[in-house]
Amino acid sequence: MPLEYYLLLSAILFSIGAYGVISKRNAIRMLMSIEIMLNSANINLVAFSSYNTPFSLTGQVFVTFTISVAAAEAAVGLAIFIGIYRAYKDIDLEKIATLKW
Amino acid sequence: MIDFRPFAYLIPILPILGFLLCLLFGKYSWRRGGMFANLTIFGSLIISLGILYNVYFQGMSFYEKSWNWFYPGIVFGIVVDPLSIVMVCMVSFVGLLIHIFAIGYMGEDPDKFLYFGETALFTGAMLGLVLSNNFIQLFLFWELVGLCSYLLIGFWWYKPEAAAAAKKAWMFCVVGDSLFLLGIVIVYNYMFSAPGITEPITFSQIFSSLETGVIPPPMLTLVSLLTLAGVCGKSAQFPLHGWIPDAMEGPTTVSALIHAATMVTAGIYLVARTFPIFMAAPNALWVVAIVGGFTALLTATMGLVVNDLKRVLAYSTISQLGYMLCMLGVGAAIGAYAVGYSIFHLISHAFFKALLFLGAGCILHGLWNIRSIKEMGGLRDKMRITSITMLIGALTLAGFPLTSGFYSKDKIIESAYEYGEIASKTGGLVHYLPWIFLIFGVFLTATYTFRMYFLAFTGKPKTYLAEHAHEPKPISSMIMPLIILAACSLIFGILTQTKFYDFLSTTFTTTTAYMSALNFEHLAKMGGNPYGLEHVETPLYIELLPTVFVFLGIGIAGYIYFNNRVDVGKYIKKGNPIYKIVWNKYHLDYVYRNLVAEKFIITLVILWDVFDLYVIDGVVNGISWLTVKSGTVIRRVQTGVVQNYATVILLGIVLLLTVIWYFGV
Repeated sequence: MPLEYYLLLSAILFSIGAYGVISKRNAIRMLMSIEIMLNSANINLVAFSSYNTPFSLTGQVFVTFTISVAAAEAAVGLAIFIGIYRAYKDIDLEKIATLKW
Repeated sequence: MIDFRPFAYLIPILPILGFLLCLLFGKYSWRRGGMFANLTIFGSLIISLGILYNVYFQGMSFYEKSWNWFYPGIVFGIVVDPLSIVMVCMVSFVGLLIHIFAIGYMGEDPDKFLYFGETALFTGAMLGLVLSNNFIQLFLFWELVGLCSYLLIGFWWYKPEAAAAAKKAWMFCVVGDSLFLLGIVIVYNYMFSAPGITEPITFSQIFSSLETGVIPPPMLTLVSLLTLAGVCGKSAQFPLHGWIPDAMEGPTTVSALIHAATMVTAGIYLVARTFPIFMAAPNALWVVAIVGGFTALLTATMGLVVNDLKRVLAYSTISQLGYMLCMLGVGAAIGAYAVGYSIFHLISHAFFKALLFLGAGCILHGLWNIRSIKEMGGLRDKMRITSITMLIGALTLAGFPLTSGFYSKDKIIESAYEYGEIASKTGGLVHYLPWIFLIFGVFLTATYTFRMYFLAFTGKPKTYLAEHAHEPKPISSMIMPLIILAACSLIFGILTQTKFYDFLSTTFTTTTAYMSALNFEHLAKMGGNPYGLEHVETPLYIELLPTVFVFLGIGIAGYIYFNNRVDVGKYIKKGNPIYKIVWNKYHLDYVYRNLVAEKFIITLVILWDVFDLYVIDGVVNGISWLTVKSGTVIRRVQTGVVQNYATVILLGIVLLLTVIWYFGV
C-alpha cells in the first residue's frame, strides 16, 4: 500500500476538521473538529515514520506526546467553555462577539 | 594726543547703555531722569570730537574694523572715514543740545525717564547707523531708529492723534524698509559668489567690486532704486512724505531730534554712503535728482498754507531733505564733491532746524501748547531771546546771505545748474528740471518761513495766552541750547566751507587698507553719468538768482504778513480750488487712507481670509474627515466572532500555498 494513501487520508481528515472548526456554531462541535485535525497530523507522522524509517520509531514516539498534549488541550478547552457558559448562558460561538467593532 | 579711533565702537554703545540705565534707574535719579542719557551722549561727543581731531587735524588714516557675526562673511563693523566722522560729530553735538533742552522742556512729565531712555536709544542707534560698514548692520540700526521714532512720536499715547500718527509713521517707513531690504538681498545674491570677496555686504568690498562688474548694471539700477525707496520712507520724500506732518503730535524735542536733525537725515546719509553704487548705475542719479527736487517744491507749496507752527517746520524739513537728495542726484555731474556739498547742507540744516524746533518748543512752553500761528502774535516783545534766535534760524533756512544756509543752498543750486548745463547737451533740456525745482523752492521757502515768523512774532497778540507769554530764564537748560545753535548756524558756513568739501571728498577717493581709491570717472562712465566731461562756469546772474529770490520771498512775506498788514482771506477765499487742493495736501492722505488702505488692501485681506478659511482649513479638515469615514467602513472587519478570524487565517494559508505551488519558492 503506497505511502500516499495514508497521506491522502490525513489530508482529507484535516480538511474535514478545518471545515468543522470554521463552520460549527456549537462550541463542543468545534472542539471535536479540532481533535480530528490533531489526529490527522498524528496519522501523517506515523505513516512517514513507518514507511521511510522502518526501524526507528521516531514518529510513533512523537505521536505519544501529541496525543497526550491533545488530551490536555481538550480538557483546558472544555474548562474555558464551562466558564463561558456560566457568563453567557449560551455556547453559540456566533453570539459570543464582545470584541465586535 | 590719544588715538581715539579704536574707541569708535564705544560711540553707539554708550548711549544704548544710557538707555538701559535710564530705563532701570532713571526714576530714582536726579530730577527723575535724564542724567544718564545726557552723560552718555556727552561721552560719545568727546570720542567723536577726538576722532575728528585725529583724522582731520593730525592726519591719521581712516579706520575700519569688523568682527565676524553669525556667519563667516557677515560682519559687525565700524568705519571711521570723513563721512561718518562729521555725521557722528553732528549727531552727538546736536543730540546733546536737544537733550539738555529736553531736561527743561519735559519737566513735569510723569514718564520723563522713559522719554530719556528712548531718546538715548535713538541716539545710540543713529550713531551706530552712521558708523556701520555694511548693509545688514546699517539696516538693523535703520529699523531701530524707526522703532524709536514710533515710540517717541506716540510718547503721549493717551492722545489718540499721537497714537495714530505713530502708527502712520511706522507704516510709511516699513514700506520703504521692505524695499530697501530687497535691495540688500539682491546685492548679497551677486556678491556672495564673486571670487575674492570675503565679506559680501561690506561697503568697501562692494565698492571695490563695482568696476569689475560683479553686479550687472541693470541690477545696480534696481538696487539703487530700491535703496531710494527706503530713503523715501525714512527721509520722507515723495510719495512717502505724509507721515512727518502728522508726526508733530509728539513732543517738540522729539521733533527736533528725530525729524529735523538726525533720523530723517539717515536716508540722505545712506545715499551718500552708497554714492558709488548710484554713480555706477545707469539712470539712478537722475531719478534721485527728480525725486528730491520734486519733493522740495511740492512740500514747499504745502508749507504755505498750514497754520500749525510745527507743521510749517515739518514741511520745511521735508523740503530741505529734498534739496540734499537732489544734490546727491546732480552729483552725476559733480563727482566725489557731491557728497561734500550735500552733507554740508545736512549739517547746517541740522543746526538751524534744531534751532527752529527748539525755539518752537520755547514758544509752546510759554504759550501752554497753542500751536496755531494764527493765535500767536507779538511774541517779539515777550520772548526776546527766542525771537532773536528764531529770526537767525529763519534767515538761515531761507538762505539769507552770509548765514550757513546761504552757503550750503547756493552750492546746491549752483551744482544743479551745472548738471543742467552739462547733461542737457546730451540728454535734452529736461535735465534743467532739478534746477528749476530748486530755484522755485528757494522762493517758496523764504516766503513760508517768514510768513510763519511774521505771523507769530510781529503784530498784536491775538489771544489772551499770547499776551501773557513767558520765557524761560536766559541761563537755563532751555535757552542755552538755542543760543549755541544760533551761533553755530551763523558761523558754521563761513568758517568751514571749502575745507569741509575737501575733507569729505576724500571719503571715496583715498586708498586705505580696506578699499582702494575709487575712480569716479570710471564709475561715471559705467553709469552713463556726465561727470568729468567738461568744466562749466556758471554765469554771475545764475549765481545771484537764489539771493534775489530770497529777498523777493522775504519781501513778499513781509508785505503781506508783517504786523498783519494785508488780510489774505479777502483775496483768496476758502473755496478757492487751488487753495483747497494744497490745503488737503494734494489729497494724498485721502488716496492712501481711503483708496489704498480701506479699499485695496482690505479687499486683499478679505480674499486672503476667505482663502485661509475655506481652502487651507478645508484641506486639513478634509483629511481628517476622510480618515474618520474610511475608518467607519474598514472597522467592520472586526466582527468579534472567532471563527471568522479562523476562516481568514485558513484562506490566507491556502493562498500562500497556491502561490508557492505556482511560482516556486
